[in-house]
Amino acid sequence: MNSTVNNEPNRRDFVQLVSGWCATLFALAASGAAAARFMMPNVLYEADRRYRALKPDDYPEGATFLPDARLFVLRKGNSFRAVSAVCTHLGCTVLHNNDGNGFHCPCHGSQFNENAAVTGGPAPKPLPWYLMTLTRDGRLMIDASQEVKPDKYLVV
Amino acid sequence: MLLQLWKQFRDSRVGRSVFRVGVPASNLERAQAAVSSFLLHFQPAKVNRRTLQFSATLGLGLISLYLFIILTVTGVLLMFYYVPSTNQAYQDMKDLEFVVTAGLVLRNMHRWAAHLMVISVLLHLCRVFYTAAYKAPREFNWLVGVCLLLLTLGLSFTGYLLPWDQLAFWAITVGTSIAAYAPVVGEKLKFLLLGGNVVGQSALLRFYVLHVVVLPLAALFLMAVHLWRVRKDGGLAQPGEAEPAQTVVGLAELPQNKTYGLMELARGTTPAVGVQPEEEVFTWPNLVFREMLLFLGVTALVLVLAIFWNAPLEELANPVHPPNPAKAPWYFLGLQELVAHSAFWGGVVVPALIVVALVMLPYLDRKRVGIGVWFARERKLAVTIFTVCLVAATVLTLVGSAFRGPNWALQVPWKPLAIEER
Repeated sequence: MNSTVNNEPNRRDFVQLVSGWCATLFALAASGAAAARFMMPNVLYEADRRYRALKPDDYPEGATFLPDARLFVLRKGNSFRAVSAVCTHLGCTVLHNNDGNGFHCPCHGSQFNENAAVTGGPAPKPLPWYLMTLTRDGRLMIDASQEVKPDKYLVV
Repeated sequence: MLLQLWKQFRDSRVGRSVFRVGVPASNLERAQAAVSSFLLHFQPAKVNRRTLQFSATLGLGLISLYLFIILTVTGVLLMFYYVPSTNQAYQDMKDLEFVVTAGLVLRNMHRWAAHLMVISVLLHLCRVFYTAAYKAPREFNWLVGVCLLLLTLGLSFTGYLLPWDQLAFWAITVGTSIAAYAPVVGEKLKFLLLGGNVVGQSALLRFYVLHVVVLPLAALFLMAVHLWRVRKDGGLAQPGEAEPAQTVVGLAELPQNKTYGLMELARGTTPAVGVQPEEEVFTWPNLVFREMLLFLGVTALVLVLAIFWNAPLEELANPVHPPNPAKAPWYFLGLQELVAHSAFWGGVVVPALIVVALVMLPYLDRKRVGIGVWFARERKLAVTIFTVCLVAATVLTLVGSAFRGPNWALQVPWKPLAIEER
């Protein structure tokens, strides 16, 4: 207590000060981090990102829009691929061009070519292509959590 | 009879314990009322004559406060019928419109007051800028004000989702997608806001909790600080105001060999010092009555709007079919207009620059000229820069809200384009 009289911190005061502040800051940081982590959900009760579509032969040549999954199934002969219909700009649903090649977004005019790469408008990224597999009972399965390159086809 | 009863109560022991002064009759009692009454003590006993002039402030800060009060009252009432669930929310809106007595008017009041508050807070910012009222010693209060502006936008934005109709759903989809353009943290921020990858149940609940608890409490706290600071910083900024004195004396400057009363620790002049007595008037009744009149006016305006115009409610939210065009809330349409050209500029650079510029303004622009004067000549440069930015923001917002039709194509508002399928 001597120190408070002559106002000169001694070693004990210094150690107390530093450890006290360290403990306080650590407690604050830990609580803050825990609160932030608490806000990140571990389980999502959203629709399954894997979508079971119909059998390959149920899809015509060209593009078919699947509204529930917000994606397109594209068929060329017996090769299939699936591309997201959610515009990478601000999340609107893109439409397939009438001439059969590429997509456009009705909200802000983004253009995508047949490989979903951006050819115009404000979209910053191409539309993602999703992994497509065949289920055991012969239906198409699209996994929106796994992106693939646009040249990856599922050949049936 | 009633008056007699009231007088009897007021003169009784209980009555006198509640109302210390009663309706003041003398100047002494007017001063006592302002000091001893909880609701009046937010204000000084006397204020400068100029504070009463409507043209000095246009009452914009007070209007914002009143709108906040109206929003709180109507919002709490709406909470009794509203369940933040994707299955029920829209149904509850319909009930409020068609089943609940006065539900429609309350919802309309809440919606229009919210829009008005965004406008009045923005105009309040413009007023404080154009009268240079952010200069020392009011720099920090400007900062608090900027935080309150952001909170107002946040409150309005979170409230936008709650009706769970098409307008709400897609405005929030577009709005949170703009947030996702922030560098590094953007995607995480969007996930955090929505509590998932899509606008769904968790997003609705999160926006609800933010809207009814977190943001209003934060706003309330900051408003208290804001008002307290207005008084501590000397009331309304006046032309010819003296250089601000340091308000607290450093301990080193005081002799250590005596004890001090609190008054001796405060330094500098109170706002009243140096002001001629004839420039000062009593807060009661001069200021208080004008404030009450303004409250009446604001309430009447909101009520009239609510009675004659219904708040929009579109069809139930449908995540598959976006309306064409999908638009963010109107105060973000300037940004959306920019985002339509470049996501990076509109979504990241411009909003960040605006906030940074607003925060730094009082610390950069320190010359003591034009304080309390509208559009002072000495501030030509500052006024011009601010006005150019303001006009640009207004034009962008107007273009985004009225001149953009389907496919974000330019249109004129009186001849909307038809939606054509390609």
